Amino acid sequence: MLVQYLSVPFMLIFSVLQMTAISRINLLNGSADIILLAIAAWGIREKGRDVILWALMGGLMVSFISAMPLLSPIVPYLATALISRLFQERVWQSPILSMIIVVVAGTIIQHIFSILVLQFTGLDIPLMEGLSEVTLPSLLLNFFFLFPVFFVVNDTARLILKEEIYD
Amino acid sequence: MKPVLPRTLRSAVLLLLVVGILFLSLSGFLRPILGIVMDPFVTAQRWLSQRFLAVYDFFTLPRDVTDLLQRNAILEDEVSALQSQVIQLQEQLREAEVLYSLLDFARARPQEKYIAAAVIGLDPSPFLQYMIIDHGSDDGIRHGMPVVTQQGLVGRIDAVTASAARVQLITDSGLAVNVRLQRTNEEAQIMGSLTGEVTLEMVAQDVPLESGDILLTSGIGGNFPGDILVGQVLEVEKTETALFQTASVQTAVDFTALRAVLVISNFAVININPLIPTPVQ
Repeated sequence: MLVQYLSVPFMLIFSVLQMTAISRINLLNGSADIILLAIAAWGIREKGRDVILWALMGGLMVSFISAMPLLSPIVPYLATALISRLFQERVWQSPILSMIIVVVAGTIIQHIFSILVLQFTGLDIPLMEGLSEVTLPSLLLNFFFLFPVFFVVNDTARLILKEEIYD
Repeated sequence: MKPVLPRTLRSAVLLLLVVGILFLSLSGFLRPILGIVMDPFVTAQRWLSQRFLAVYDFFTLPRDVTDLLQRNAILEDEVSALQSQVIQLQEQLREAEVLYSLLDFARARPQEKYIAAAVIGLDPSPFLQYMIIDHGSDDGIRHGMPVVTQQGLVGRIDAVTASAARVQLITDSGLAVNVRLQRTNEEAQIMGSLTGEVTLEMVAQDVPLESGDILLTSGIGGNFPGDILVGQVLEVEKTETALFQTASVQTAVDFTALRAVLVISNFAVININPLIPTPVQ
């Protein structure tokens, strides 16, 4: 199906965008994560069952780019995908609200997981300092990019799914 | 019949009359008379001219407006094209300035060979201070090579692909650099942090550490060549009970505005790990 293959170019574009532009937009020490936002936006759609594939693709691409321990970025993205499906089933009438909740939960999980993994590899990263100096500003920046990513992903999904019906 | 006045006298009178009128005219005595004579003509000409121009405009203006609109559109296109060209040229100029300053730095240190590379991205994780450059193993870049700019030390190559490489910055919490205080020649170490701030550590309590002290790489440890500018001491923190004094460091390189870097390609990283004694169990 076309939709399943869509994750590859989409995540590729979002990874490049994240690396070249979004990572440079900093608030204190935080930065937005549009890959996480894209996963959340795709997952809260009714037909977003393939969001796990999106999470895997996004995680693999970030693993390839980032200095984080190998494959560790996949875990928070998978968690975000699962949370988004959970909220799609329960709060399906209000996608924006679902998106906000998923992004908050996903960002916190991602950052706590990153801090723990980095601590495990021997880096001295205090959890509370990480949460206050990086996670909170990142959350604010994620809110800033939340709506644009939501609308881009939804419009693209609508376009592609329409094509699928005629296939 | 003989004329009353001879011809010559008549000519002379006529000439005198013309000269007199000219004189009166130039001296302004004829102005009121001229005004009375000319005013109706001027008024009539003005009235006629206004009507003619109105009629002329009525027939010609719509075409001119269309022409002007077309011309305006063409000129606006040209202006936008020129503006984008100006922006491109400014960008190229800025890049050229960066490259010239890098070249100056490379010329000042002829013993080292450099590979210039552009910064094309940052690590997606906000917990790590890494950047991506557009040159890789195909260009001769290898793991561990030091990375500098004309301002000072940037970091070292952490991972390499065929066409790109990842650089660990000196602001990263996982990187320690051995440095030397230029004024006192004392050895110390700088450490990065989660927030990207750099601290000077391992400075003995009796070392006279002052704000503004310049830090250079010491070369100890074999990871970086010596005498590369790292930064300067900002604020010294000295407590009586601590074994060492520490200080916050202002790095020489502005990492937020980093566009191009130089990789020192002829520096062989020395692995001293086998020489470090391991505790006997």
